[in-house]
Amino acid sequence: MIINHPLLGPRDATEFVYLGDASMIERPNGFGEDVADAMYEYVYLRDNPAGEHRELWYHEQGDRSWLVVTRNTLTHEITEVALARDVARSKGRSK
Amino acid sequence: MADITLIAAPVLGGFNHEFSNCTLAERSDIALISVAVPRDGDTALSTKLDTAWTLTMPTPSTTTQANGMRAIPLTADQFLLAFHPDTNRTEVSVQDDLAEVGYTTVQTDAWVILELSGEGATSALERICPLDLAPDAFPTGSAARTVMEHLGAMIVRVDNTRFWLMSARSSAMSFLHAVETSCRWTAS
Repeated sequence: MIINHPLLGPRDATEFVYLGDASMIERPNGFGEDVADAMYEYVYLRDNPAGEHRELWYHEQGDRSWLVVTRNTLTHEITEVALARDVARSKGRSK
Repeated sequence: MADITLIAAPVLGGFNHEFSNCTLAERSDIALISVAVPRDGDTALSTKLDTAWTLTMPTPSTTTQANGMRAIPLTADQFLLAFHPDTNRTEVSVQDDLAEVGYTTVQTDAWVILELSGEGATSALERICPLDLAPDAFPTGSAARTVMEHLGAMIVRVDNTRFWLMSARSSAMSFLHAVETSCRWTAS
């Protein structure tokens, strides 16, 4: 499997480490209302469809960047790769 | 109390070996300083690099060089400055130059630099380096981080048949062993 890194170009998937679902970027406010329910949902509940997943991958054997990879679990086709930083910023996060 | 004198020594003892078609040597004459770009500080840093050394910022996969300074990309918003230290340009003076515009750390003692050169350099690397090193995919001036023999490494093509291979100094002997073995097996 080849992951097309947005900055570095195509790299073999063995250079990367998988972390988990990209929804981990959207950590709820620890001081908000209903924080217990929100954290429960954030930590434990995941959709697990057969098909398209958005996943966090870490380029450990490369430039140590975090990526959001959109991958189809039925075909292994990768349809989109973005820097996790850019994804987080697009959601209004400060970093 | 014993009178102890500390003597600076290169980690591989100045290793230098000529194989039949390539040469592998430790470079112990290069100082390294990592520079991290402050948030929204790209312009200030690149202006300073330009006025100090007429150096431009490296791209994610390409080094830049000017006036004896080479900038090697590490990751987004971070790069290494490599240079020969002398009386006019020291690690301290370079850090002072960038004090207001970048976050700097001296990394000279954190890396080992092996210089692999000669006609057989590419064949030696084909055995251990997973990247495509064809001249059109990885031309002179390119740099990339990858893994060689399970060790995190950085490769810089400083010339068509000359590469810098950089890895952690703590595992320098293992890294040398891996590269040296590759050179030996691919030497014709």
